[in-house]
Amino acid sequence: MYKSYLEEDMGRKGIFKWILSTDHKRIALLYLYSMMFWFTIGVVLGLLMKLELIAPGKTLMGPQAYNATFTVHGVIMIFLIVIPGLPAVFGNFLLPIQIGARDVAFPRLNLFSWYIYVLGSILVIISLFGNGPPDTGWTFYAPYSFKTGTNMLPAALGAFVLGFSSILTGLNFIVTIHRMRAPGMTWMKMPLFTWTLYGTGWIQLLATPIVGITLLMVAGERIFGIGFFDPAKGGDPLLYQHLFWIYSHPAVYIMILPAMGVISEIIPTFVRKTIFGYKAIVISTLAIAFVGYFVWAHHMFTAGMSGTALFTFSILTFIVAIPSAIKVFNWISTMHQGSISTEIPFLWATSFIFIFMIGGLTGLVLGSLATDVHLHDTAFVVAHFHFIVFGGVGFAFFGAMHYWFPLIYGRMYDSSWARTGWIVFFIGFVSLYGPMFYLGIKGMPRRYFDYLEEFHGPNIISSFGALVMITGLVIIVTNLIKSARNGPIAAHNPWGGTNLEWRIQAPPILENFDEIPVIDKATYKFD
Amino acid sequence: MNRNSLTIVFLAAFMGLHGQSDSDLEVGVVEKLDQYIPMDAMLVDEHGDTVIIGDLIDKPTILNFVYYRCPGICSPLMDGLSDVMDASDLVLGKDYQALTISFDPRETTILATRKKNNYLNLMEKKEEAGKGWFFFTSDSANIRKLTDATGFRYKPTGNDFIHAATLIIVDPEGRISRYMNGIYFLPFELKMSIIDAAAGKSGPTFNRVLLYCYSFDPEGQKYVLNITKVSATLIIFLAVVLFLVLVFFRKRKTA
Repeated sequence: MYKSYLEEDMGRKGIFKWILSTDHKRIALLYLYSMMFWFTIGVVLGLLMKLELIAPGKTLMGPQAYNATFTVHGVIMIFLIVIPGLPAVFGNFLLPIQIGARDVAFPRLNLFSWYIYVLGSILVIISLFGNGPPDTGWTFYAPYSFKTGTNMLPAALGAFVLGFSSILTGLNFIVTIHRMRAPGMTWMKMPLFTWTLYGTGWIQLLATPIVGITLLMVAGERIFGIGFFDPAKGGDPLLYQHLFWIYSHPAVYIMILPAMGVISEIIPTFVRKTIFGYKAIVISTLAIAFVGYFVWAHHMFTAGMSGTALFTFSILTFIVAIPSAIKVFNWISTMHQGSISTEIPFLWATSFIFIFMIGGLTGLVLGSLATDVHLHDTAFVVAHFHFIVFGGVGFAFFGAMHYWFPLIYGRMYDSSWARTGWIVFFIGFVSLYGPMFYLGIKGMPRRYFDYLEEFHGPNIISSFGALVMITGLVIIVTNLIKSARNGPIAAHNPWGGTNLEWRIQAPPILENFDEIPVIDKATYKFD
Repeated sequence: MNRNSLTIVFLAAFMGLHGQSDSDLEVGVVEKLDQYIPMDAMLVDEHGDTVIIGDLIDKPTILNFVYYRCPGICSPLMDGLSDVMDASDLVLGKDYQALTISFDPRETTILATRKKNNYLNLMEKKEEAGKGWFFFTSDSANIRKLTDATGFRYKPTGNDFIHAATLIIVDPEGRISRYMNGIYFLPFELKMSIIDAAAGKSGPTFNRVLLYCYSFDPEGQKYVLNITKVSATLIIFLAVVLFLVLVFFRKRKTA
């Protein structure tokens, strides 16, 4: 008898139905709901900053409060949302289903990762009280990070603990992909989203320990005054920046690779065509994961490195743009001569490409040595990474949400509201971050609560853009929440997808498959 | 969970301890504006004669602590000093003078003379500098006396020292009137400091950012690198092992 994972309680009661469940689908939703909570806070903090910047001088808060706001906004958005984001929610939900497995390789470890995530978030909450929230910026740069009187340590420890959650999730996915593929599911038949999770898994496993060690070194610095990063004691503040970015740059790929995976799933489905250049996409995924390790110092062009280092890192940065461009080319080529239906997920996917292109190309502007000197630490950088991180991961996340919603909840959302939400969000997004490019070129520095009168106009547009974008967000989220509860029951495979997840009944049963399927045909084969 | 919250409380207790107050600063400059340097401190001059610093200071004077073997910041500092003295319209030896003092008691007069010749050869106002820029060595007690009085804190590491780069301006009475930090100095900045010192006025330090000398401390530096190297090797080793296990060990057939 059919009983979906949402109804299968294993005899547990109340909240324990969820927090003790080792079902990968329930864990995915645990992550989703915790992230929604944090996302709300992060958005409110972002809005507060935009309201502060609506006019020059102090409007809402002074410099210290502003410093704390952008730090906590950054820590929450980066460490609690975008890094775990797609892998923890959609990776957990879909990975086993896409490769024809009943669960991930280590279900208990999977649940444990969520608990670590919660512990990390508690540490972040603790940092808000006591001596005041941290004011170092989310990068915790030395030497300020071990001199500031604010609660920098719990925030850094929070990031450290969250790193473990990330490592364990990555490990779990890698082993699952290697060991639990259904018969016939060869590497080259794997869905592209799974492939990106595989690349991401290795980055999580290799890069995350570095930030752990780095943050421990900062803790040692603050508590025992060891002097790793203190030149007065023979240390080197630049060492901190290197260690931090050796992790945090690959982390950008932890965020963006699964986003690219989502887009590679959505586009073929809505153009009814096999993905163009499957192998090229797979190879470029692995290439991004690999080359992504060697570009970290492009965050440090003005920090005082040797000319050779600057040149090398700049070249490597240009090289990493190639596989990204290959993907974009393949997505567009997939659409060519396809039978396109502009359903909601497709709108998100195409707007992702648009936004990601702007984010990517402005990344090259920053990757060039000469222009970077001019633009470093200006609003241009803020615009660039919000286009990549929020535009990339955010658009892909909402795309994924609208694409797999009928699978996750077995219900359908109201598509006219979803369309309205999308267009409002899109307009808000572009008018929020677009003007920052201009402001940055004109010389407005980032991380100041105040600015010169000449920057006023674009800042007003940007602040109103924030309000429009949040209106869009409210429409989208309200529609999704309402539909998850009371939406009409979704038809079987509403989009006509070809992956395994569309062949099973939605919402899936506890262990996904009554019988492990045998895969006999290639993915993305439309009749 | 209990243990975790304990750790948090334990760490939170340390959070109040941040920064370092000036008095326990190990390396750097603790400014002692308006205080007098010990005018009875004894130095060894370029001829190997012992002189009393009080006898030398009869005009505004730049004090400059370095050690002559220094592989780090001392040379850029001395370059900066000679550049600004070259560029200044004040007359060295008449309007002001510069005393460069080695804070390494092991260094000798021969080394000091050699250094002086090096720098003078690089200068345009060679002759002027010959009469107004002097190089000294001294014994550890007198060095300690001078560096303590001027707040110049340094630390030996192996064969070298960790220290900061600064010029200290004293007025004709031996009173400290200004600190000039860094390795690049503006002629105007120097002129103003000298004129103020001649008038017995003291002024704030413009450049608050101290530059430090990186010591090639074999012990300390290696220690830092080892942590990163060891952990990187470990991480990569474990990842490779995992990959090999996954690829080469057959998967168990599940029932």
